[in-house]
This record gives sequence, C-alpha cells and structure tokens, in this order.
Amino acid sequence: MMMLYENFRLALFSLKANKMRSLLTMLGIIIGVSSVIAIMSAGDSISAKLSDTMEGFGANNIQIYLDFREEYDGDYYYDYTDLMNRDMLIDFGQHFNDRLKAISVTSEVGATDVKRDKDAAKVTVMGATLGTFLIDDVKLKDGRFFTIGETDTAAKVAIVSTKYVDTMYAGKAKDALGEGVTIEIGGKTYKFTIVGVYEYKDAFAGMGMSSGDNVRTNLYIPYQAAQNIIHEDYIFNCTVMAKQGVDQEQLIKDMEDFFEKYYYSNNERIHVVCYSMSSVIDEATSLINTVTIGISVIAGIALLVGGIGVMNIMLVSITERTREIGTRKALGAPNSSIRIQFIIEAVVICLIGGMIGILFGSGLGAIAAALMKTSPMPSLRAILISLSFSTAIGIFFGFYPANKAAKMDPIEALRYE
Amino acid sequence: MENESRKPIIHLTDIRKNFFIGTPNELKVLKGINLTVYEGEFVAVVGASGSGKSTLMNIIGALDRPTSGGYVLDDVDVISAKDSELSGIRNKKIGFVFQTYNLIAKTNALRNVEMPMLYAGVGRKERTQRAEELMELVGMGDRMKHLPEELSGGQKQRVAIARAMANDPAIILADEPTGALDSETGRLVMDIFHKLHKEQGKTIVLITHSPELAEETERLITLKDGEIVGEREGHGHDDAV
Repeated sequence: MMMLYENFRLALFSLKANKMRSLLTMLGIIIGVSSVIAIMSAGDSISAKLSDTMEGFGANNIQIYLDFREEYDGDYYYDYTDLMNRDMLIDFGQHFNDRLKAISVTSEVGATDVKRDKDAAKVTVMGATLGTFLIDDVKLKDGRFFTIGETDTAAKVAIVSTKYVDTMYAGKAKDALGEGVTIEIGGKTYKFTIVGVYEYKDAFAGMGMSSGDNVRTNLYIPYQAAQNIIHEDYIFNCTVMAKQGVDQEQLIKDMEDFFEKYYYSNNERIHVVCYSMSSVIDEATSLINTVTIGISVIAGIALLVGGIGVMNIMLVSITERTREIGTRKALGAPNSSIRIQFIIEAVVICLIGGMIGILFGSGLGAIAAALMKTSPMPSLRAILISLSFSTAIGIFFGFYPANKAAKMDPIEALRYE
Repeated sequence: MENESRKPIIHLTDIRKNFFIGTPNELKVLKGINLTVYEGEFVAVVGASGSGKSTLMNIIGALDRPTSGGYVLDDVDVISAKDSELSGIRNKKIGFVFQTYNLIAKTNALRNVEMPMLYAGVGRKERTQRAEELMELVGMGDRMKHLPEELSGGQKQRVAIARAMANDPAIILADEPTGALDSETGRLVMDIFHKLHKEQGKTIVLITHSPELAEETERLITLKDGEIVGEREGHGHDDAV
C-alpha cells in the first residue's frame, strides 16, 4: 500500500518534470476519452429526449386505423362500407372489456370562432368519448367531464380550455361554468353549455417553443353530439389504452385478429391495423445505441493509438532513466518494484489524460445537449467505462516498457551514460 | 592484528569470474580471490584499471554472481541466494557509494536518503526521521530539501553516503567516492568515512586507484590481473591532519 502511494507520488513527480511531453502524450488519450464521453452522453440524452417526447404523444396507447392490405395491388380508394362504425366499436369494446382501460374516438366537427361581447376565442369543435380525456391526458381544471348519460344522449354540453377561459372570462374558470357557447358550423348555429374547463397543454412547450397566446384550442362535445352535427357514423381510426399489466403485443395481435375475423374477412383491399408508439421508441433507441457503439469503437481506436503513444514515451523515459533504474536496483529495489513503478507511471498518464478527457467530453456533451434543448446527461456509465479503459490502456501499454526496466542488468544500467 | 577475535563480515573463498567473449575464448577477470573483511574494518582495494576491481566490487555488492567460489556476507550465503533475494541483500546489508553519486534526479536530498528504507518497507515517519538524522550526521542538515542539481559534487557525495547508511548496512561499499571531486572536497568526504568508521564502527570497503587515500585505511589489498598480489597495513588516518 505504502509503495503504491509512493509510486503514485513518484509518477506525478516525473510527469511534472516533463510537463510538455506528458501533455502531448496524454493528448491521444484525452481525444479518445472526450470523444467517447461526448458521444455517449449525446446519445443518452437523445434517447432520453426521444422517449420523453414519444411518451408525451402517448407511447402506451394503441392506435387502431384502416390501411390497405399489403398484398392488395389495385387502386387505393375507400368506400363507406370499408370504414369502421359505432356498432363495430361497441362490439369491439365489449369483446376486449377485460383488457382495455379506455377507448377514444374523436370526430372533428370543424374550426370556428366563438364570440362573446367583444371577445372571440378560436376553437376546434371536437367530438370526444370519455376515454379521450384519459388517453389524451386531458386534466380537468374546473367543473366536470361528460357523464355517461350525456354521451349516450348526445347532450349539448361542452368542455373548454383554460385558454378559452383566459380569453372570454379573464381566466376565471368558475365564471365559465354553466355559460352558453354558440357554435356556427356550416351556416347553422348550435348552442352548448360549458360544464368543464380543462388545463391547456402546450404541445410544444417541451421543445422550448410556444404556440403563442391566441391559439386555437379544442372545444370538446360528446361524440354523439358531433355525429349529429356532421351526420356521419364512420370511424377512420380510434385509440385505446390497455389496462396495467396487459401484454401489449398480444393485445395488438388479438385486436387485429378480432377485426379480421368479424368484420374484414371479406374485404380484399382494407384491413384494420393496430400500432403502438412504444415499439417505435424501442426501434429508435436501439438505432441510437447502435450508432453510439459504432462511433465509440472509432473513439476506442483513438484511445488505442494514444496508448501506443504512451508506450513510446515510456520507452524513451526508461532509456533516459537507465542510471536511475540501476541505482534503484543497487539500493535494493526488487524487479517487481521497478515494474510497478513504471506501470503506475503509465497508468497515471492515462488516468490524468482520461480525467481531462472526461471534463472535456462532458463539456462537449453539455454543449450538444444545450443545442438540442435537452438536459445534459453526464453518464456515469460512460465515465466509469472511460476511467477503466484508461487504466487498462496504461497497464497494457505500460507493461512492456516497465518489464524492460525491471529486467535491466543493474551493472549495465549503472554504467549507462 | 587481532582480526581472529572479530567477526568476519565479508568472506570470499576462491572467487573466480570468467566472461565469455565468444568460444573458445574466455576472459578470466578474477582468478581465485580469497578475502575476509572483519567487522569494523576499513579496507582499501587498490589496483590499476583492468585489474578486476570493479568486477570484485560488483560481486561483493551482490550486483553480480561469480562463476565459481564462495561468498558469505554477514552470515548470509550470497551464492545460494535466489535472484529475487539478492535485491533484499543489497537493500539491507550493503550501502553503495558511487563515484558519480547516482542520486535520483528531481527528488530532494532527504527523499534520496529515504529511498533504501522505502524498499525495506520502513514507515513514512520513521523513514523521514532517520533520513534527517543521517543528513545531520554528514553535515547536510541545512540542505535536506535541496534537489541534487542544486548541490555541489561534495554535497551530493555526502547525501549519497547518508543514503548508503540508511538501512544500517553490514558494509559500506565505496567505489572511487572521491574520483570526481577536487582534493579539498575529496578530503571532506574521506573524513566522513573515517568518522563513520571510528564513531559508528562501520565496516567500509573502499575501492580506489589512489595510493594516498588507500594509505589512510587500516588494510590495503592490491589487485592485479584478477589476483590479490599484496596485502599490508595502512598508515591509518590521523584526525589532526
């Protein structure tokens, strides 16, 4: 232990004695390590950012939509008979009742401006099911969501955003409850009553952008009420949320099989496809990991070249210090001490280079993270890998020169000029 | 001399050293050396260059092995010692003083003196304390933190003597210790050897080609062509000189 401490002190001493040379030798290690750190932390923060963003879009939700069959080779067109409808979804909901937490079907009625005195709020009238609020993660600020009775009877109730309340009621959500909303769609006017206010979520806030103040927000009305306005009962797509602990992959397969078996077996063009965002994230993350590993291998080659530089300088240093080695041996240093002394010197060069590289690489990673508006992720894994790799390079490339020093003949070494 | 009552420290019997310089030629450097040095003796080995002085010193110093012969150093059989044990023998039994000082560069005087104790596994505090005492002993108490390049030749040699004393060795082996010094500084260094001999009872083997310095010792051993050709008492050294 004591010898180890002395050897570290000795190594630092000898590095200080040859500052410029030590720095140049370290350069290879510094460049190698800082690239590894920068690449790994950039890769990590991209992956983290990606999953964050994707989860914001509902990574655990399953999209159900219509698509042309792969084997279909004719003209791409939809008939009304190809589309899904309310009865089909009710059947579907009952069939998967034990595995689904929510079903969201939306129907966009249209965009319009709602006027009240001098104020006007831009809204998109959106028919929604109860599941929509859960799946789209809509949070209630005041009032209530629809009741099951209201959705079934297509009641004339509406839920507006906090933006709407900001514009129309000076931000006082309580004032909006029970108030009327007159919507003008297709030349006809419809009157709804506000029963709830939801928290407006800026979809771009996470990316460092803002949609601005005068933004168009959703005004939710019961799905049936929307269908009554547009006189349609066709569904292109819907979104479902699985219950906790349900095997998503199996669920997706079963849902596709359900539609295929009961509704689309005779349709040679169209079928129902179910798709989950989490699989997209998995693919993207594994792609980023592959790229990270690939670049790290190249950085590893830089480290290897740095290691050869260390070996080279160690050989020079040992030749220069031949007399010192001879003297140490005469004073009773065993070969193992000499060997360890020079291995530690090589390790210290590599470790200091590695630490400088970590600082440098973290800096680069932080700059990259700042440019991408992600939080810098100083990856402990990358730091540990770099430090152990530096140490390993020091031991590996230090061993040959150190062994050469250890095996020197003391008489020859003492006589060396 | 009443040598017989004293303990032999170095006991060389029929030491031979041959160097192979390509068969069938063999260079016989030492041709059967028999030498006993007793505890507390101050012995000089003199001889012209090529007489085998250096080879003899390397063998006494356990840096080299003889081709044949016996060597017992302070009750330790050096011949049968393994290579890995020789470093321990050098460390604890022998204190080297070289002509060229051989201090470790960029390492201060005190740490140079500590070095043999480091390899002997002496604790840090004890090491420093002993090194300081030895530096005082050789009159270098005021230059402990100086680097070798900041010291004069004589000062370096005094540090080297302190270093040789570090592990309280059985013998001090000095190879031309004044060879690189002017006569005045050389005198100073020789006085330290006399002091160590008289005050500490150190066994000292001085290798030199200078007849005047050799005369100061108790016993002169003259080497020529790998053989001891003469052995007589020296005139000794008077402190008043």
